[in-house]
Amino acid sequence: MNVALEVERTRATRRTVRQALGRAIRLREVQLLVAIGVVVAVSTAAQPAFVQPGNISFMLADASATAILSIGQTVVVLARGIDLSVAPILGIAAVLVAFPAQDLNLPIIAGLGIVLAVGLVLGAANGLLVSVARIPPIIATLATLSVYGGLQFIFAKGEEISNIPNAYGNLGNNDIVSGIPWVLLITAVLAIVVAFLLRSTNVGRSIYAVGNDAAAAHRSGIPVQRIVFLTYVVSGVLAGIGGLIYLCHVGSVDSTTGSDSNVNLLSIAATLIGGTALTGGRGGVLGSVLGAVFLSVALTAMVFARIPSIWEPAGVGVLMLLAMLSDRRAGAPARRTRQRTAGSAR
Amino acid sequence: MTTAAAPPTRTHLPPQSDARGGSRTRERNWILALVVLVGAEILYFSITVTGFFDGGTGMLALTEQFVDIGMLALGLSVVILAGEIDLSAGTMSSFSGILMAVLWRDGIEIWLAVVVALVASTLVGALNGLIITIFRVDSLLVTLAMQFILGSVATALSGGSPPYGFPSSFVTIAGTGSIGPIPYQLVVFGVFAVAIALLVGRTRTGRSIVLIGFNRPAARWSGIRVDRTIVGAFMISAFMAGLGGILVAGFYNAARDDLGDSLLLPAITIVVLGGVDIFGGKGRMAGVIVATFVLGFLTEGMLVDGQSSLSATMVTGILLIVSLALKITLDRRGGLDVRAALRQRVHRSGRTEDAR
Repeated sequence: MNVALEVERTRATRRTVRQALGRAIRLREVQLLVAIGVVVAVSTAAQPAFVQPGNISFMLADASATAILSIGQTVVVLARGIDLSVAPILGIAAVLVAFPAQDLNLPIIAGLGIVLAVGLVLGAANGLLVSVARIPPIIATLATLSVYGGLQFIFAKGEEISNIPNAYGNLGNNDIVSGIPWVLLITAVLAIVVAFLLRSTNVGRSIYAVGNDAAAAHRSGIPVQRIVFLTYVVSGVLAGIGGLIYLCHVGSVDSTTGSDSNVNLLSIAATLIGGTALTGGRGGVLGSVLGAVFLSVALTAMVFARIPSIWEPAGVGVLMLLAMLSDRRAGAPARRTRQRTAGSAR
Repeated sequence: MTTAAAPPTRTHLPPQSDARGGSRTRERNWILALVVLVGAEILYFSITVTGFFDGGTGMLALTEQFVDIGMLALGLSVVILAGEIDLSAGTMSSFSGILMAVLWRDGIEIWLAVVVALVASTLVGALNGLIITIFRVDSLLVTLAMQFILGSVATALSGGSPPYGFPSSFVTIAGTGSIGPIPYQLVVFGVFAVAIALLVGRTRTGRSIVLIGFNRPAARWSGIRVDRTIVGAFMISAFMAGLGGILVAGFYNAARDDLGDSLLLPAITIVVLGGVDIFGGKGRMAGVIVATFVLGFLTEGMLVDGQSSLSATMVTGILLIVSLALKITLDRRGGLDVRAALRQRVHRSGRTEDAR
């Protein structure tokens, strides 16, 4: 064999490896994994109890509801929308399952049916307002936030429902193996499915295209408004599933569940930290899930560092700012221009 | 909406010269519709709900319940006109109210405490603006983060037992006092409403803000200091939110760390209902001022009638959807103005014949 050729080949391999490494480091998912690792390492060094299976399981289960919501939020944001109404959708779904679960011992599978239907209907209503009535997303979902919040109050009849069958609590709090809760598995499956759909199907690529440039997407034959409509339905359905997971994990629900714990904003924070750009067309759901896990881990670390829990929201805020500053393009101003979709140009 | 039909030379001009002709008329008609709506609301509630009108004084006293939201809306509209958004306004109110109260409890003269709280709010607003303009990040995200941070700061400031029972001179003016039948709070709102309306409509800074929202590159090319003006807009918004927080504290004669949180959503609703384009560059302050009363009387009327506050919020949401859907449909058709629509139709058909 020619020695020179051999040397050249190793060099080329090395170059490729280096390039691949460079690309990987620039990936938000990898950065987040490193960040999570650092937080875990530092906290464990300070307090070994941090890595006990119980705590790990707690952090992951706690992240799950936010993570599921942020998957839906990401899909909406990728198409350059925003969904502020996920909190009451989560709440309504949880309430509507909790009552029959308490009174009729409703099986979880039937509960899943209910939350899917709730998410579908409420998400479709959002989608219609944005894609047919052409109300700007931030306003449309702000309005439905009020309306759904009122509905949740009506459905909950002002009660707190906490007598949930054990089957729900078991799903929400038990581990598959020590440290890995069932709800994390559900979250992971949802994330992988949505990630696959986004990456490898026509509809998924269309969502990115619409977010990048709606007018260009329209000219290349993508039914822009239908895609936009679809993203809100996906977000609604995932918020509904998030409601079921929340119910299983927390075990009680009332008329302000969701809205009171700020899941709306947390889902946006997780999406942003996960590297999805508000300008649309850039990012993905795996980052958002990691963003939710990172938030949960960092906030728990704050508890371990004996920082009073009142500073938790500030922690979220600072993490958001840091995420934005570390990747300016992710936080770059959404050119808040009227969506000049060719559909509206007439 | 600069469609292809617009002559290219006109696209960079402020909204007065919309391509469809008479965006100004359209705005005026929208405000007129809002005025009619307020009138209808007052009439309806006066007839159906006992205790709403109450010889006029009862109705005026009701305004105390919502002018604080109006304060936030006034400040927010400046930011929204500039094409940005300020989600930190609600917790800014909490922060300012609690800061004022805590300073007063620690022995500082109450009016000095008010001034310090307002200055502190304005500085946080400046910080918002600086982060946004220096790092070029989205205002939605920066102010969302600031909302979280201010919420924590307010809670930390308030500690276990939030202060209450302010001096009566303060409670009279910032809270529940009135000159004859007119509450002081309404007077304060009136003063700032006029001031901001003049600022936006009649000053160089105000027109610059609107132009920045309408077409930022054009604003930059015409020599407007865009970044500086945007920071200013955020300072105005923060100042008004701070003032709103102080009015709430005065009204309840107590401060709480979360008293401003619920003001944000209705305030944004008012701005949008008032006809300000959420993307910036279009809208008039008169609309926002009237919309304050549209929303305020609607909510208060329902509450006096014994409805729950959540169903009032729900109606707010529906009102927002219906009015916007209506407005957007009308705008697409050329506005509420029948004459303009006719003129346009004639004009258009003339042009098509020319083309043939």
